[in-house]
Amino acid sequence: MANYYDIDDILADEELVPAVFLEAVNGVGLFESNEANRVEPRSKVELPFWLARELHLRQAVSVTIPPCFNKKTREEIGADGAHVDLRSRSSYFYELGCKIVQLMGDKSIGSLLLVAFQTRYKEVLIKAHTAASSLTPKFLSSLTKEETKLYDAAKSSTAAFKTWRMGGPRFQKAAVLGRKRKPIGGE
Amino acid sequence: MYGRKAYQLVKEFTNSESGQLTGFNDDLFAQVIEDCKEHVLKLQSLLRKMQEEGSDNQTTKNADHFGALMHHLALVRNKRCLMAYVYNRAEVVQNLGWTIDLVLPLEIEEKLSISEKEYFKSHSKTLKSYMSDLDIDLAVDMVPPKDPYIKVRVLEEIGNVVLSDQSANLTRYAILFLRRTDAEQYISQGKMEELTG
Repeated sequence: MANYYDIDDILADEELVPAVFLEAVNGVGLFESNEANRVEPRSKVELPFWLARELHLRQAVSVTIPPCFNKKTREEIGADGAHVDLRSRSSYFYELGCKIVQLMGDKSIGSLLLVAFQTRYKEVLIKAHTAASSLTPKFLSSLTKEETKLYDAAKSSTAAFKTWRMGGPRFQKAAVLGRKRKPIGGE
Repeated sequence: MYGRKAYQLVKEFTNSESGQLTGFNDDLFAQVIEDCKEHVLKLQSLLRKMQEEGSDNQTTKNADHFGALMHHLALVRNKRCLMAYVYNRAEVVQNLGWTIDLVLPLEIEEKLSISEKEYFKSHSKTLKSYMSDLDIDLAVDMVPPKDPYIKVRVLEEIGNVVLSDQSANLTRYAILFLRRTDAEQYISQGKMEELTG
């Protein structure tokens, strides 16, 4: 299990997955309209993953594969993985995928994630090293959380390399105090 | 949906840039705790109901059991979100002690909760006393300087200051050579910037 305090892991756990209740549940107000506070068996719901997982393990609900891993997405990734808008499907595409595999044992998702990441990884790095970020807003908005981090890391390492080569200032204002000023003598 | 508010709380933390803080959200924090109390009440009432019916929560898997389970899970989830929120903020606060001196700038101080302020104070005090025990300033730049003096520009009016080798009048926009060790703290506070070339 990931670090208990890991913010990203917590957020990834909030992704909704479709599930069907196998058992009746009392005293739970999942639906606003439901006055009896009871969930009947065979109700279809979308549950956040943290809840769905535990209930699935106890055979109270049956989780199905979330729509972001459906056939259409697979085909799009197969055709040209680098230009699929993964964020609109799930900001935590890879993390959720890994969790789902562990839970459901669907082997095909593993290879899907790998193919998607490999093709997109290259594209992310090329964009980060070359293009100015103002030119690529559309591209950036299609990245998942993980890929955005990768992009930022690549960007900042390029910048660090440049300062190192040009002999820029060693000291900078503490980052907590707000955005750092553009060094006047640096460029 | 359960755990929604706790999720919003954690989400809010990520909205700030890494290493920076947004204001401590007392309101939402209290709401999540309120949520927890509600879950506890429902959990207890379900367990009581099962006891009255004489069924054992360990073995009977009826609707009440799963209801109680869901409230329990929501509690665990809320707890994790609350803990993560506090913990991750505490890490940022801890780093403050390394980069800026004992006095917090106002714009940061107002973002901290009362216990975070206390945490900052005692943490940087501990840090200071450790460094004075060692007689080494651990917060200085790790790369050895080529020249003990650097050229800096003053960005904020500081006034007459006695430095280690001279007493200088640090007026705004003045450009001067200072010892690196003297200049360092002013730069990290944003009162000076280093000039190169």
